[in-house]
Amino acid sequence: MSQTVSPAISQSADRRVADVELCQVSKSFGEDTAVNTIDLTIQEGEFFSILGPSGCGKTTTLRLIAGFEQPTTGKIIIQGQEMSRTPAHRRSVNTVFQSYALFNHMTVKDNIAFGLRIKGMGRSPMQQRVADALRLVKMEAFSNRYPAQLSGGQKQRVALARALVNRPAVMLLDEPLGALDLKLRKEMQVELSNLHQQLGITFVMVTHDQEEALSLSDRIAVMNDGNIEQIGSPKEIYDHPTTPFVADFIGDTNLLKGVVAFADHHLLKIQTPEGTTVLAQPSANMPADLKTAVVSVRPEKIHLSQEPPPDEGNCYSGYVKHVMYLGTHLHCVVQLQTGECLTVMQPSRTGLSWASTTPIYASWLPTDCLALAA
Amino acid sequence: MSASLSKSRLQGLGTTIRHRCQQLLGPLALLGPAGIWLLLFLVLPTLLILDISLVPDLRPEDVGGAYGLGNYSRVFNPFDPRFDSVYLQVIWRSVYYATVSTIACLVLGFPVAYWLAIMAPRRWRNFLVVAFILPLWTSSLLRSYAWISILRPTGLLNTFITWLSDLIPGVDLPTQNWLYSSAAVFVGLTYNFLPYMVLILYASLEKLDISLLEAAADLGANPRQTFWKVTVPQTLPGIAAGCLLVFITSMGDFVVPTLLGGASSMTISRLIYNQFLGITRNWGLGSALSMILILAVSLAIALLLKYGDRDSVKEA
Amino acid sequence: MPRKRSLYLPSSSRRLGSTRRRFLQGSAAAIAGVTLSNCRQNLSNQAAPEADPAATTPEEGGASGGDSGVLHVYTWADYTSDEMVNAFTEKTGIEVIVDIYDSNETMLAKMQAGGGDAYSIIYPSDYMVQQMIELNMLTKIDKERVTGLENIFDKWQDPVYDPGNSFSTPFAWGTTGLLYNTDILTDTPTDWDYLWENSSALSKRMTLLNDVRETMGMVLKSLGYSYNSTNPAEIEEAYERLIEIKPDLASFMSFGYEDGLLSGDLAVVMAYSVDALSSIAEDDTLNYVIPESGSSVWTDTLVIPTTAPNVDAAYEWLNFNLDPAIAQLNTETLFNATPNKVAYENLSDEFKNDEKLFPPEDLLAKCEGIAPVGDAAAVFDEFWTRATSA
Repeated sequence: MSQTVSPAISQSADRRVADVELCQVSKSFGEDTAVNTIDLTIQEGEFFSILGPSGCGKTTTLRLIAGFEQPTTGKIIIQGQEMSRTPAHRRSVNTVFQSYALFNHMTVKDNIAFGLRIKGMGRSPMQQRVADALRLVKMEAFSNRYPAQLSGGQKQRVALARALVNRPAVMLLDEPLGALDLKLRKEMQVELSNLHQQLGITFVMVTHDQEEALSLSDRIAVMNDGNIEQIGSPKEIYDHPTTPFVADFIGDTNLLKGVVAFADHHLLKIQTPEGTTVLAQPSANMPADLKTAVVSVRPEKIHLSQEPPPDEGNCYSGYVKHVMYLGTHLHCVVQLQTGECLTVMQPSRTGLSWASTTPIYASWLPTDCLALAA
Repeated sequence: MSASLSKSRLQGLGTTIRHRCQQLLGPLALLGPAGIWLLLFLVLPTLLILDISLVPDLRPEDVGGAYGLGNYSRVFNPFDPRFDSVYLQVIWRSVYYATVSTIACLVLGFPVAYWLAIMAPRRWRNFLVVAFILPLWTSSLLRSYAWISILRPTGLLNTFITWLSDLIPGVDLPTQNWLYSSAAVFVGLTYNFLPYMVLILYASLEKLDISLLEAAADLGANPRQTFWKVTVPQTLPGIAAGCLLVFITSMGDFVVPTLLGGASSMTISRLIYNQFLGITRNWGLGSALSMILILAVSLAIALLLKYGDRDSVKEA
Repeated sequence: MPRKRSLYLPSSSRRLGSTRRRFLQGSAAAIAGVTLSNCRQNLSNQAAPEADPAATTPEEGGASGGDSGVLHVYTWADYTSDEMVNAFTEKTGIEVIVDIYDSNETMLAKMQAGGGDAYSIIYPSDYMVQQMIELNMLTKIDKERVTGLENIFDKWQDPVYDPGNSFSTPFAWGTTGLLYNTDILTDTPTDWDYLWENSSALSKRMTLLNDVRETMGMVLKSLGYSYNSTNPAEIEEAYERLIEIKPDLASFMSFGYEDGLLSGDLAVVMAYSVDALSSIAEDDTLNYVIPESGSSVWTDTLVIPTTAPNVDAAYEWLNFNLDPAIAQLNTETLFNATPNKVAYENLSDEFKNDEKLFPPEDLLAKCEGIAPVGDAAAVFDEFWTRATSA
């Protein structure tokens, strides 16, 4: 299921040097295939995320790059050198671990200096580098503390500094913010982004949090079941998912499956088993002779009204089954007359009546939804 | 009014006391049985030994005697006319035996524990650990006899050495009487207490976060650097616990020195045995030597509690 | 035959029979304070109720009330045999439970600590009898209830350790000497000096008894002094001489040397005659010699402690063992020399003429019994501790 890189990215790839390349890499643990023959090219200076549900192989991919695992097949190239069999300690990458993996028998300062000490760096340049790293993560005041005396967020910063101080070619981040609470996570996201811009080195982050991936990344690879489903910029991934899995996994969506009744380059007409007919634009990689397809409609693209909307498009009558108030938005479940349910996001100020007996119209433009190969 | 006030205050006080009692009663009910056990079978006997040790040369048939430090000064005070340096020599030898066997246990036990805890296939791990501590289920007496049949001049070891010498022409490996030497004591003690060391180190290593080892490798440390800079410091409490346990039990063991050590292997525990069950029957001196051993061991345990990894000891 | 003086008995800890099983038994008792034999003996008593007909003697003890019950006996390993115990049970209906000890001192410590309250019969050696009498630990024997004392040799009728046998009856006697492997020693040791003369050739292949009075006494004897010297200068001289061969000693051990001796790991060991003779009976490459300059002669006895719970059964046991037929059986099966004149005369010439078992009179004359040494005991202890600890 490997994907060819979209044209836009290919252009940028021409300008930049590939920092990390995975060629036909697979990794099996006994009978289980964790990574199933993937290809991946990560550009220099890029903030690249690998996104997917747990067990999809994303962490294994990262560990392959770090050198903690050896690929079963395929090649791993880091900065132009093949490193498939090179042990972790000889790779110019540094990792920020999900559990931080700080050495609790050392102070913050010594944790950060660890890599430099191993390299045999002299005392004063080392102190300088450590001080710089501490400043970068705003932890100057804690240099003599032990990890046990730090909060989760502080540990995270130390783990970052410990990796950064080595000035690696590539920073690998394994669910770096996964253990933090929501507010702290938001803060750290901003800091990570700033750090990346400041340092200009390649970041490869593994996450299951799509929002995190969308907000931080230059590009995202969505993984599922050991395969890469799609690689692209956050906008491409969100607006133009190429598979139902990506559409479903990235953001909320309504998926309507049906038979292709009519197709041309710009429009597909799909008939669901319940009898609903949907018009949708085909996704970029859609084969022409498709028999069945899935239509993906984002909840915020659906418009609710009490009168049928004037414009042509998809319009169905039904009633509101359920409403949830989410502050700025309302989250509604609309049951169509044909029986299907749609999730709809509406700004909370719409003055509509939500009584369950009131008929309501749900409508969206064919250009606001996407037909995907089922 | 003041009467009723003080009465209510009294009642309040009563309630408080009752409340306190209830607060104390719970823990007491829980700690009581073990506490009584410890008091009767540990604290009182130890005090009794202390008492006897303070009567110079007390023999079992003596009704009593004047208190004094004679038993101790005989061991420690070079100005005492009855001072004999053999006691210090024996104590020193016991410490020496215990130290060497502790180091040997650590050196042999660490790789085994490391392999069991980190490298062995997970599903075999429990089985392997049990297999390793299986020798503990047999009497240490029998295990020591097994070593006699290996180490004696016509034993397995020499037979093997002779066989090897015959096998490789030109190489003449010397056979010798391994039994009745300090080396035999080291072998016996190390063999007897190695499982304890492995068990404690295993408990400690099993808790070692593998991601720390990966982190060290990630930061450029080769396996040896990782071992010395991360694995060892991380398991230091377990190492301390294992060493102290082996040291303490080695100090107290008298089966191995008696059976394998021969004529020049007197240790403090054998000496104590002789004072109580041997011809000397000097309970006073025996108790004093016991107190010295108890104090040394208590000191070691205090160090263990302070610096050791209590969890590892508990799990082991 | 021993002179009167030599009855001033000897010895102390002894132990051990010849098979490996017994060896383990004895050492377990010695080292772990556990009497494995307990179970074994109990089991064998129940499992094999059939008595050896030869051992069954219809002689009735004077005070045998025919009472049954349980008799707890505390003795040396191999001082009872299954057939003898079964014969006793068959005759009296009293069940016997045997526990063993490995040294007089261990036994004394256990009795003094109150751990021996179950025992109605104990087997202390001569000097220990004396000590226990002084400690008021023994029941005076009611001569009215004892039959067969007249069969004892004259010299045991009024032994120094217990004049008039008021508190004990003699059970067995023996000597201490050298047990060696004839395949290894090309010459025959004749005296204690052999150990010093050949110490380098036999380095780490010799053992001495782990016993202060026997071993220090042997060295004293080899210097021409008495086993019971009370002269500190003589004792120190003995200590110096002991130290000379100490580097060449494999160990101080009172038991557990048989395997080593048979395999050739050990060449010569100091041993009690009873242990030596039973080892020889199993393998005749071993031989035993009583040194020319003399050794110690010891007597083991039967006594009833003051704490004995079953005195009647204890008297049954005394009388049973005074029975010449039983005494004869004990000598024939357990290799201890009997002090019972009738039993001795009934022995075959093979036993009677065995000079290892019954040494000739002139040699016995040079032997001594080990006697209490009063205040010199502390001097013995001091040098012994130094010799074994250094």
